[in-house]
Amino acid sequence: MSLQNLIMNLQKYWSDQGCYLAQPYDLEVGAGTMTPDTFFRVLDRRPWRVSYVQPSRRPNDGRFGENPHRVQKHHQYQVIIKPSPSDIQKIYIDSLVNLGIDLSVHDLRFDEDDWESPTIGAWGVGWQVVLDGLEITQFTYFQQAGGVELFPVPVEITYGLERLEMFLEGKDNMFDLDWSGDVSYRDLRLREEKEFSEYNFNLADIDRLRKSFALAEAEATMLIDKGLLLPAYDMCLKCSHLFNLLDARGAVSVTERVKTIGQIRSLVVRIAQKYCAEQGRT
Amino acid sequence: MEFLLEINTEEMPASHIKAGLFQLKGKIEKELQANHITCLSLETYGTCRRLVVVGDFAPQQEDREEVIIGPPKAVAFAADGSPAQAALGFARSQHTEVGRLLVIPTPRGEYVGLKKITKGRPTDGILCGALPGIITSLSFPKMMKWDEVNLRFSRPIKRILCLWGGKVLTFSIEGLKTNGLTSGHKLHSPQPFKVISFREYRAGLKKNKVILSAEERKSMILTQIEKRLAPLEAQLYPDEELLEKLTYDVEYPYVFLGEFPQEYLRLPLEVLSVAMREGQKLFSVIREGRQLPFFLGVADALRDRKSLIRRGNERVLRARLEDARFFWEQDLKVPLAQRAAGLRQVMFQEKLGHYEDKSARLKQLVAYLCDRLDEKKLKKDAVQAAELCKVDLLTEMVREFPSLQGKVGGLYAREEGYPSTVSQAIYEHYQPAGLEDLPPSSHAGALLSLADRVDSIVGVVGIGVQVTGSSDPFGLRRHAGGICRIVLDRKLLLSFDHLLEKAFSAYGDGLEKSKKEIIEYCRAFLGQRLRFIYEGQGYRYDLVEAALGAGLDPIYFSYLRLMALASLQKSPHFEPFILMAKRVNNILRGLPPYAVNPDLFAEKEEQELWSSFSIIRDNALPLIAAGEFVKAQNMIFKLEAPLSAFFDQVLVMAEDRRVRQNRLALLQAISGLLLEMADFSQVVVEGEKKERAS
Repeated sequence: MSLQNLIMNLQKYWSDQGCYLAQPYDLEVGAGTMTPDTFFRVLDRRPWRVSYVQPSRRPNDGRFGENPHRVQKHHQYQVIIKPSPSDIQKIYIDSLVNLGIDLSVHDLRFDEDDWESPTIGAWGVGWQVVLDGLEITQFTYFQQAGGVELFPVPVEITYGLERLEMFLEGKDNMFDLDWSGDVSYRDLRLREEKEFSEYNFNLADIDRLRKSFALAEAEATMLIDKGLLLPAYDMCLKCSHLFNLLDARGAVSVTERVKTIGQIRSLVVRIAQKYCAEQGRT
Repeated sequence: MEFLLEINTEEMPASHIKAGLFQLKGKIEKELQANHITCLSLETYGTCRRLVVVGDFAPQQEDREEVIIGPPKAVAFAADGSPAQAALGFARSQHTEVGRLLVIPTPRGEYVGLKKITKGRPTDGILCGALPGIITSLSFPKMMKWDEVNLRFSRPIKRILCLWGGKVLTFSIEGLKTNGLTSGHKLHSPQPFKVISFREYRAGLKKNKVILSAEERKSMILTQIEKRLAPLEAQLYPDEELLEKLTYDVEYPYVFLGEFPQEYLRLPLEVLSVAMREGQKLFSVIREGRQLPFFLGVADALRDRKSLIRRGNERVLRARLEDARFFWEQDLKVPLAQRAAGLRQVMFQEKLGHYEDKSARLKQLVAYLCDRLDEKKLKKDAVQAAELCKVDLLTEMVREFPSLQGKVGGLYAREEGYPSTVSQAIYEHYQPAGLEDLPPSSHAGALLSLADRVDSIVGVVGIGVQVTGSSDPFGLRRHAGGICRIVLDRKLLLSFDHLLEKAFSAYGDGLEKSKKEIIEYCRAFLGQRLRFIYEGQGYRYDLVEAALGAGLDPIYFSYLRLMALASLQKSPHFEPFILMAKRVNNILRGLPPYAVNPDLFAEKEEQELWSSFSIIRDNALPLIAAGEFVKAQNMIFKLEAPLSAFFDQVLVMAEDRRVRQNRLALLQAISGLLLEMADFSQVVVEGEKKERAS
């Protein structure tokens, strides 16, 4: 099964589970959790079912395309269902069976792993799902986002698509994967990994990154005051990515790291609070 | 009658399972006791998916007989035995007839009363009422909510099975009703099935691929490990913590043996085993202390027919080891000394500055320790180790595997060809990491660890952080425990006050609290840890107090004092001596100090006491200074006879002020000598216990 067939299979499966199929968000994010289709929709009390592919950027994980399993951009398949169904573990396991994985000959484990994203004031309790030693999914009961306690509780299922595909194709090198019958992961992504690693680690201009950060932060503050929460949140996502770039450039000291993450979080928390206050009114 | 409860959940962490079972048992026991229900047995079992309680309880509460006392007999009945108003009123108030009243003898005389027998209620009703509260009140290290359920628990509850005498005991928790069903292994035999007894439950689980007992799972794991290792003539690199975790993580353990390419054996054992353990929960395999290119894993599976589990784990481990090798090689490209400049980027604590400052302080402290302990030869290497010991915080390896801090620095120092004293000291300077861990094996490592911990304690206390029962964010207890264990292990003759002063001055004027406040807090804090250690070793509480009461200068002497007290407590001289020492203390309580004037001694007994004391003191003091407390104490026992005679024959509180004060001064001098040995007023002796008891 090629990577695009894997994606189609999951799209069909979760669509059958009543999920709306969102399209990837058009900004750099570190994880599917950070996109508005997750972040805002978990905050209110209304039921919500969504799933989507989200390309996720982590500048620090770049390896110039030389490491067979680490890249600065990978793809997540993100599922959010609120409230969490009581048989959600079974639904998830069936999605693996639906991919043709015969679980009677493998070792599938739900291994304690509580997830946390200090930048967006979010945490949850759950597991990393491990298949024969390979972490293929993060499975989380989302407890808090933007510093707001979540109720009803959403469940978040995040498949690591490259990892899962490596398992399905039995390959040791991510770049050997088949994206489709004719196009390999190497064809599509190797040049991107090389160039972005070079940019992230060596060329990104620290001064200009800092300035961009300050601009995006100022814009976010202005937008929060005007009550335009979605654009304000976009600005926070930009801040988060710029911070990650600065970090990859080795320009962030430990103290500064804590301080900057705190800055972004306090913006995100204000957005979440305003959003919830509005929901309370309607 | 048999009671069975199974709370079926999604996968709980091992620590939660133990906490849950412990509380369930305690709470159910308490409930039974409070309700006077006899409990013949009560056991718990757990896997990652179930908390199980099985018990044998009486079918109902014990009948309770209650005696209600009414008016005195003399008031209740007239002389002729006819009931008076008081008896009639009492009977009416108790809804009974006068004829059923009894005469009850009490210490205050005879009273009229009534025996009431309350029939015990059936146990099932009581359990039904109590269990929902018990289950919802369980607390776990981290709690969560799910769905729209108004309950916090370890992980979502799927099903509750509860049986009483073979029948379902019905109650519900947040809309989830109990039933008589359980289910087997989540992947291999998930169909629910009905049970009516624990025997059937346990057997049914086994048939459906769940081993209920943790001991049984553990022994299955160990047996299989042995079987896999026997042909290799190899051993497991012991890891109790991992074994314990895996025992609870799986319901049906299957052990597999995997291999990795020889080339990764160039990585140190520490790195290999942490890559296996922390990443994938695999055990290392060793032969004669050397890593072999094999590992052992525990799967939650029946077997590995097609070797898919083994091969999958091998593939993932290879990628991990490749990463570790990348870090190892990258890190070694920048020598530690060159990397050290980066420490000014790494924060130790916001108010206490960066690790560069800490390293500078550690150099001072280690140099001081070497001078103080006369370790001139060690000084150069120890100071170099202090300079480099924190540099590995900047390496990729420690960023990836934080638990390897210190060790990684030591390994890199060794690779770079530093003297082994330096690399060993860096390697060991976080030891002992906990109660189970050993103190550093090298002297330089011990001094560096000591310096690091004293620096942390003084700094953190100096910015106003206090340790409370539940809050110890900087791990000061662990640091203080580490200091005590190193001092005792190395028999270091250090004064804690001097060490604290030195650590304080290394901070310059960077601390908020005053020197006096810090030292007093730290001294008391360290005393507590010593007390904890000594009591943990089984020494008598009062002897520990007596030993610590004589001060911590040097710290190690508190241990020698305790040893002396413990070995002398069986001596026939001990008890009379303690009583005498206490008598001296009692007389002196609250008095100002006086000076002895030997010319004023008039009585023979006081002259004799003074001269015996002078000789004993002159002999004992050098022994005390040398830490020879048993010898000193045997010397001091000799004071008992002249003191006894003194108390028998001489009136301390003489009429004449000068004579009286001179006698008190003599006793003060004796008391001062005794306090060099121990604070004897803390010791509890038999004679006293009897007095207190009566």
